[in-house]
Amino acid sequence: MSDPLSLPFTEARRQLSAREYVGASLRAIGEHNAKLNAFIHVAGEGAGGPLSVPIAIKDNIVTRDMPTTCGSQILAKFVSPFEATAVSRLRAAGWSIVGKTNLDEFAMGSSTEHSAFGPVRNPWNTARVAGGSSGGSAAAVAARMVPAALGSETGGSVRQPAAFCGVVGLKPTYGRVSRSGLVAFASGLDQIGIITKTVRECAELLGVIGGHDPLDSTSSAQAVDDYGADVDRGVRGLRFGVVSEAVEKLEGEVRTNFDAALEILRRGGAVVEPASVPTIGHAIAIYYIVANAEASANLARFDGVRYGHRSARGKTLRDLYFDSRGEGFGAEVKRRIMLGTFALSSGYYEAYYGRAQAVRARLRADFDAAFQRFDFLLTPTTPEVAFPIGAKTDDPLSMYLSDIFTAPANLVGIPALAVPSGFSREGLPLSLQIMAPHFAERALFRAAAFFEKETNYWRRAPKL
Amino acid sequence: MKITRDEARRIADLAHLEFDDAALERMAAEMTKILTYIDQLREVDDAGKIAGATLSETPMRDDEVKPGVSRDDVARNAPAWRDGYFIVPKVIGE
Repeated sequence: MSDPLSLPFTEARRQLSAREYVGASLRAIGEHNAKLNAFIHVAGEGAGGPLSVPIAIKDNIVTRDMPTTCGSQILAKFVSPFEATAVSRLRAAGWSIVGKTNLDEFAMGSSTEHSAFGPVRNPWNTARVAGGSSGGSAAAVAARMVPAALGSETGGSVRQPAAFCGVVGLKPTYGRVSRSGLVAFASGLDQIGIITKTVRECAELLGVIGGHDPLDSTSSAQAVDDYGADVDRGVRGLRFGVVSEAVEKLEGEVRTNFDAALEILRRGGAVVEPASVPTIGHAIAIYYIVANAEASANLARFDGVRYGHRSARGKTLRDLYFDSRGEGFGAEVKRRIMLGTFALSSGYYEAYYGRAQAVRARLRADFDAAFQRFDFLLTPTTPEVAFPIGAKTDDPLSMYLSDIFTAPANLVGIPALAVPSGFSREGLPLSLQIMAPHFAERALFRAAAFFEKETNYWRRAPKL
Repeated sequence: MKITRDEARRIADLAHLEFDDAALERMAAEMTKILTYIDQLREVDDAGKIAGATLSETPMRDDEVKPGVSRDDVARNAPAWRDGYFIVPKVIGE
């Protein structure tokens, strides 16, 4: 039999026992992790129950049997007293948590270079970043260490690393998956997402972790759908809008690859036409005010008193706060707390936070209008392929702009999916982003599954 | 938007973050660059409304007492703990 980890879990779990499946995953992690640095913690042998399919969990989603570090010194020794709802649901459905994956500190980053545990390396080229902030989850799935992983999204942190690593990444509708146990970055944008090799696997997992949770009042009461029901129906007659303002400046291989993807949808009988979302170009500016404002409030809880790192230096309570936070947080987290504190501070609140929320309302209205005409909106997932490690660490703004196509979906709360769309001449993955209206995940999987069936890029694995 | 070193120090104080002079200088420069980019939002016409990511109002729940996390688990994560209390430096007289 071929390597079970190169198969979708929908097939592999029929061919081998739970113990063999989890064992194969742990062996693959043992073999590749030194090279990729995708995992921060790995479970011991014997993890999981009798129905186990192995899965990895981003290390900002709390688990009781392993630490949850958020990639930060400030939580280096933290073990949560409760478990995230998404993790409990996985365990109840027989999944086995084989490890916790590396991430940008507190999920703040687009390359997984801002981790206290060192950068994740891209399995397709280890001199390149894996993307971020769920870089460990994306690299682990791409390298066939696990068949699936959970990540988290605030502005593209599942889709962008999925694109850079050549795997499927879903950001569900805001409220589709409970945030209980997802360590808060920006509560109004955060959402747990899913990374798999194939669309069908992703659809099945959303059915497991999705649904209302009394522990998260923003989780939706809308019924969980049969998400995989339409994956074989094709795209005939479906309407895809190509976001003109986003794609007008595309060039090079990203442009040719995107145009080829549109052609595949047209050949399947889809209607593919230009769409307009006039304010989409402002998404990053809005995002870095709204997300950082929320982050500055959420991260105020790390004070060295109740849990997390406490500095041994200071003598007063004020010293304790400043020194614990100063020693515990990395540079990018401090930068974002500073920007967020500024945006909420007296004298600047209206001009920055108020302004950003008002333009966000325009963005929302622009998306609503576009979805009157189209079932889906399309862009590439990222404006470029995975960049070299170190290329953007000294230029925060250029790092932020790598989320230019993904952040809009978080700001308006819609679901969006990254699906592999080919490879560059250098052999790095390219990716198509499909966005759909709120709670239209079932249709999203239908469109993405058609594209996947026509292209089959998921079958190609990196050589490690 | 230009952030001076003094302004950066004021914000750092609000955020309970400590920087040395060189780091503060660097932070002020980076914030200036990022906020200058963000200033593009001034040019946009908006309807004066604000929006969130959800379609619906957040529902209220009943205010019922439910079991919390166990005290032992809380104690295990506490940097300093004695007799069921978090220990902090003396505050009175500071």
